[in-house]
Amino acid sequence: MSMRSTAVALLSISALPAVGAQTSFEYCTVCHGANGNGNVAIHAPKIAGIEPWYLKNQFAAFRAGWRGAHADDAPGNEMRPVAAILTDAEIERALGYVASFSPRSPAITVSGDVAHGKELYSACAACHGAAAQGNAALHAPALSGRTDWYLVTQLRNYRAGLRGANAADSNGQQMRAMAATLTDDAALNDVVAYINTLR
Amino acid sequence: MIPAFTRRRFLNLVGAAGGSAAVYQMAMGLGLVPVVARADRPDLAPLRANQRRTVVILGAGISGLTSAYELGRKGYQVIILEASHRAGGRNLTLRHGDLIDEIGNPRRCEFDPDPDLYFNAGPARIPGHHTALLGYCRELGVALEPFINDNRDAWVHDQALFGGRRVRNRDYITDTRGFIAELAAKSIKPQDLEAPLTRADYEQVLAYLRQLGDLDQNFKYRGSLRAGMAVHDPSAPDVLKQPLDIHELLQSKFMNLMSFGEMDDQAAMMMQPVGGMDQVPAGFLRKVGHNLRLHAQVEAVQLRERGVRIVYHMNGTRSVIDADYCLNCIPMHLMSGIEHNFPADYAAGLSAVPRGRLFKIGFQMKERFWEREHIYGGISWTTQDIQQIWYPPHGIHRQKGVMLGAYTFGEATGEMFARLTHPQRLQLAIQQAEKLHPGYGSYVENGVSIPWVRMNNMLGCAAAWSVELRNQWYRLLQAPTGNHYIIGDQMSYLPGWQEGAMYSAFHALADIDLRERQTAPSAAA
Repeated sequence: MSMRSTAVALLSISALPAVGAQTSFEYCTVCHGANGNGNVAIHAPKIAGIEPWYLKNQFAAFRAGWRGAHADDAPGNEMRPVAAILTDAEIERALGYVASFSPRSPAITVSGDVAHGKELYSACAACHGAAAQGNAALHAPALSGRTDWYLVTQLRNYRAGLRGANAADSNGQQMRAMAATLTDDAALNDVVAYINTLR
Repeated sequence: MIPAFTRRRFLNLVGAAGGSAAVYQMAMGLGLVPVVARADRPDLAPLRANQRRTVVILGAGISGLTSAYELGRKGYQVIILEASHRAGGRNLTLRHGDLIDEIGNPRRCEFDPDPDLYFNAGPARIPGHHTALLGYCRELGVALEPFINDNRDAWVHDQALFGGRRVRNRDYITDTRGFIAELAAKSIKPQDLEAPLTRADYEQVLAYLRQLGDLDQNFKYRGSLRAGMAVHDPSAPDVLKQPLDIHELLQSKFMNLMSFGEMDDQAAMMMQPVGGMDQVPAGFLRKVGHNLRLHAQVEAVQLRERGVRIVYHMNGTRSVIDADYCLNCIPMHLMSGIEHNFPADYAAGLSAVPRGRLFKIGFQMKERFWEREHIYGGISWTTQDIQQIWYPPHGIHRQKGVMLGAYTFGEATGEMFARLTHPQRLQLAIQQAEKLHPGYGSYVENGVSIPWVRMNNMLGCAAAWSVELRNQWYRLLQAPTGNHYIIGDQMSYLPGWQEGAMYSAFHALADIDLRERQTAPSAAA
């Protein structure tokens, strides 16, 4: 069998931040997987297709210690030094890199009572939209097509105060209050199971 | 039982219809394939002059380099794709100026430029029965020297003993054995001996206990030369040390580590390559380095009807390789995030095994102060987070040395260190080592810290297999899917050892060899 090698230009390398020995052309994808579609084995969520403004806010949240600083948030703690080391200009370039990814529909891993989830979701829809499409004006990201296990984790994190606990993080505080209304783990699964139907 | 000729004829029919891959899959499905069991270093059949086989190897770790070497010698075309800036995988020796590529914390090693001032951040010792690795060292010209793993003059620091005062390993072991032997000698009666022992053996049991504990004529432990003398003065009579208090010794949390240096893979005589463990990958690279592509990050692994397609990124371009076989030593927990078309169960296995969290610190010391404490190589143990302190067996009596300042086995401790900043890690290690070596911090010139769970392109140490996970996944993942093989120490019963990585390669290579021999024209006749 013969070997075939083709080269397809992607992005200009200069458009990407340099972190360590690696151009961060590859840096995000070490953890977040090829094309940023997530890697459940190391709890790295899908970042492909994410809104740039939301991603930028999360970089800021990690840098400020609003995210990833809590002792119980191990995956967040892994992200935090990465956010801390990037300059503003590098973050802008990283946003551009992430925007170049080809998003895939992630595997469905969460099951729950979809009908109950739909009821619960009515409270979410006010900000995140009836189709979970998100609303930039309200700083509410799209929820459809995300890695579902990550949504459950973040709802837990909000509820437990691992996220949204800092007074300066007004969006996070608002979300934390909403997450607190989902009183048990079954409710978390139900609402995410419903969001899974909105793809 | 199916007669052999029938089985062969049946498979030949399948082969005529669907080719060699169909034969193999069919045979696997029927449980007829001569599954590779134990595979020592295989003697691969050389490819024939007109035969062309391409093997793409994902990851330039020890298993990848071993595979590249064995295949290349027999005429296979080999391409090694390595995501990071270097070959070797977790075989990492740090020297002056080297990059420590921790995610979010990249930094340079600040050791002085000196051939003795290096730190083996990954594997650091080779037991005498790791014959595969030792065989390659011989063949590739990797010079070895003794590695000292067990030193009775090193310290034991157990926070539960003697108010946290350090004691010599020899005192700790000798006195505990002495007291326990005395207790046994006092307690055992001739009538207590059970089969296969008889009353007639009683005297022999006592004789053994006397030897075990160095007991006196009355089976009393009164100290032993094994624990050493109070003063080393060759011009004066011997004065034994006073034995330590047995009540204190029995509080020890360290009883299991008393025998660390006796274990199968930790006992003398151990070895290290002269000049650093990375002389092993360097030896392989002298043979296969021309096939290595660095900074090549894999985006997709696609099984095809015949062979495997690899999509990867290098230097800002995306490239495709179609190969006959793929040997993959990318950590399974990272492969899980790479695009593929593997069968669902195989894919599920990739994310099933947790990643290890071993952590190491190395310090450059401005003086080899430990040699003034009669310590030349070996390990001191502590119940604190740092767990171990190693003294370099090379560069003896030189001014400076690089010593190991922490090596943690526990998952929680590894995670705790990973979350600290690099300066905080060093600070904690110095603070704890002061309990074993007062003034320790004053000798530190600089240090390196390696949390394997945070190292770029690794994000973990040895795969943390449990018995349950082995039962569920190991054989499934060890077998090829199509023409794709998972290798690496992760795919062995010896994770965390280079020997395990090599045997994973042997297993895959033997399987490829079997397939090639079966499909060769002469075999089909």
